[in-house]
Amino acid sequence: MLGGVFHAAALFLVAAGLQLVFGVQKILNLACGSFYALGAYAGVSAVKTALGLGMPPPLFVVVLVGAGVALAVLGPPIERLLRTIYDRDEAFQLLLTFALVLMLEDVIRFVWGAAPYQLGDVYLVYGQIRLGRVAVPVYNLVVIGAGLAIALAMGALLTRTRFGRIVRATAENRAMAEALAVNMSRIYTRVFTLGLVLGTVGGALVIPAGAAINEMGIELIVEAFAVVVIGGLGSMRGAFVGALIVGVLKAVTIAVYPEAEMLAIYVIVIGVLLLRPAGLFARAAA
Amino acid sequence: MRLTRRHFLKLTGAGAALGTLPLDVVPARAQAGPVKIGVLAAKAGVTAPVGESGLRGTQWAVDRLNAGGGIAGRKVELVVEEESNPKDTVERFRKLVLQQKVDVVTGVVSTGVGLAIGPAAEEEKKLLLMWDGTTQRGVEETIPKPRYAFRSVDNEAEAVMASIIAARLFKGKIKTVAGINNDYSYGRDNWAAFLAIMKKFGMDVTPVADLWPKLGETNFTSHVAALQQAKPDLIFCSFWSGDAPILLKQAHAAGLTQSTKLVMTTAGGVHEQLKKAFSPEGMVLGYNSFYFEDPKASALSKEFTRWHQEKFKEWPNYESDHGYFTVVAYKAAVEKAARAAGGKWPTVEQVAEALAGIEVESLSGRRGYRADHIMEATYFQGVSTHKNKHDFVTLESVESMSTKQIQKPSGMGLYDWINSWKV
Repeated sequence: MLGGVFHAAALFLVAAGLQLVFGVQKILNLACGSFYALGAYAGVSAVKTALGLGMPPPLFVVVLVGAGVALAVLGPPIERLLRTIYDRDEAFQLLLTFALVLMLEDVIRFVWGAAPYQLGDVYLVYGQIRLGRVAVPVYNLVVIGAGLAIALAMGALLTRTRFGRIVRATAENRAMAEALAVNMSRIYTRVFTLGLVLGTVGGALVIPAGAAINEMGIELIVEAFAVVVIGGLGSMRGAFVGALIVGVLKAVTIAVYPEAEMLAIYVIVIGVLLLRPAGLFARAAA
Repeated sequence: MRLTRRHFLKLTGAGAALGTLPLDVVPARAQAGPVKIGVLAAKAGVTAPVGESGLRGTQWAVDRLNAGGGIAGRKVELVVEEESNPKDTVERFRKLVLQQKVDVVTGVVSTGVGLAIGPAAEEEKKLLLMWDGTTQRGVEETIPKPRYAFRSVDNEAEAVMASIIAARLFKGKIKTVAGINNDYSYGRDNWAAFLAIMKKFGMDVTPVADLWPKLGETNFTSHVAALQQAKPDLIFCSFWSGDAPILLKQAHAAGLTQSTKLVMTTAGGVHEQLKKAFSPEGMVLGYNSFYFEDPKASALSKEFTRWHQEKFKEWPNYESDHGYFTVVAYKAAVEKAARAAGGKWPTVEQVAEALAGIEVESLSGRRGYRADHIMEATYFQGVSTHKNKHDFVTLESVESMSTKQIQKPSGMGLYDWINSWKV
């Protein structure tokens, strides 16, 4: 179960980035999986450098989040590139964002090489605690906690702040928001960058438990799409619940009947598509 | 001149006719230049480190050959293409053969690619010496009686060796076993062989879980949780890439490696990543056909290990040995066939005949090809220890077994063979 929630935390961050960008910019960004991979690689590099400079190992989480956030610098230029296709057909959007996936894959190969890239043993510095009969790595709980905190922060940001109100207004009715003197280009840049950072932080956070490999983005994007279909396109709450469903379902099928690991997820996807085509948390307007 | 339709048809007709001419009619010119060895090496994804390692062994072999006069007096040149999915790799294989006009193709790590490329080699009548990429299922159908394709050691040879060692070490100490293996033929073959051998040795064990993560998976938290619940006395795992240390790390963090016996048939392929911090002592660990600290290593092997460490700051693994072996086996076969042909450069068929049954000195000792085109090699396994100068685990005592002992003989089914053992 907890293994599933751990996976769900990463899945939520990527799906949330996808949702945010789709909600506001109406762009289905395939490259959000690549941001996840980029965050993972940058996270490993940053922690290795920091440890080399004498950082005490328990602080590595801070460095990981920092590395993810630092990748925000990539947001504005990539958003500028995508601006050319905001008003074009969805097929163009998919093509361009898929091109980004391929380019970022090569960037990663160029910078970090093709071999899996991992962080020795910092994963173990927090030790483990016993929950009931099983031992759980404390770091897994840290990631789950971070996922929850980010979910709450996103909720607060979108509902409680002026920026959030403007973002929601733009998502509801772009023309009206623009008529009310909202600087659309600035909002788009910020929203896209925020979406990117959700992905990179997600990638950076899970990496101590695993290893960065080039395909990790593609692997995750497929699951993120399942999350989005289940939760409803463009909905934050949908991303949260969808990620939990996919993550936990995966863990349960692995424990009970491993052959059905992927099947179970797509049975739910098909069920949602048939019964509630817009997803569990689709907005009325959508 | 304006190109009319008639002209155009004539031209293409002539081109097509040229294209169908057999390549053997222009051997004289081809022989003047260097011998070209095409290599299909994986460069991305989980197979990338393995592909890279094979390429290093290949390069080292070629450099030595060239320093010593090449193959039958001709210099050797490498043409490297990437191994990716089966379809694209077959395309690149044809490019090597038709466009680059290589004399022989080596490489290939993935089973799927191996299955697709074997028939292509037979079709193009071009020698193919695979490093890996072997499976049982499918090979009989797609490459039934290979003439040009030479295959690697059978998939489950490592599982056979590890199971024999596990049976000896753990008899009477284990009651339940669990498997975690990649969901494709290599993983499935290994798990099936392990269970069959446990039965043969009268181990009386019950499988309590068999997990099949797909190749390339990097998050095993759910699998580890499932293993925690199943509480097996022994976990059998045939991971051979970056996923092996990840599994060990996640299993260790969940307290699984301390209480459970482990058999890692092939994790020695990524031995430097098996850090002591999370890789336990006492697990059965396999290194395939090359162990960098083999106390009985030959001078050649030691020289290669030294070169590899100095150049890449890493200790080499088995795929370098496969890469090295395919090159020197080809050289030996060409020279043997040339002698038989009275000094003339031999045809592809003559080299193929010379390769069957050949034996040469490789990095892991003497090894060769069987008459049915399957590799023979020596495999290295043992029990892991922390007592060394490295930050990763090594072997406490090295055991070596020849594939003559741990690979089913030509024409015999795996289970018939296991059942025929006298134990």
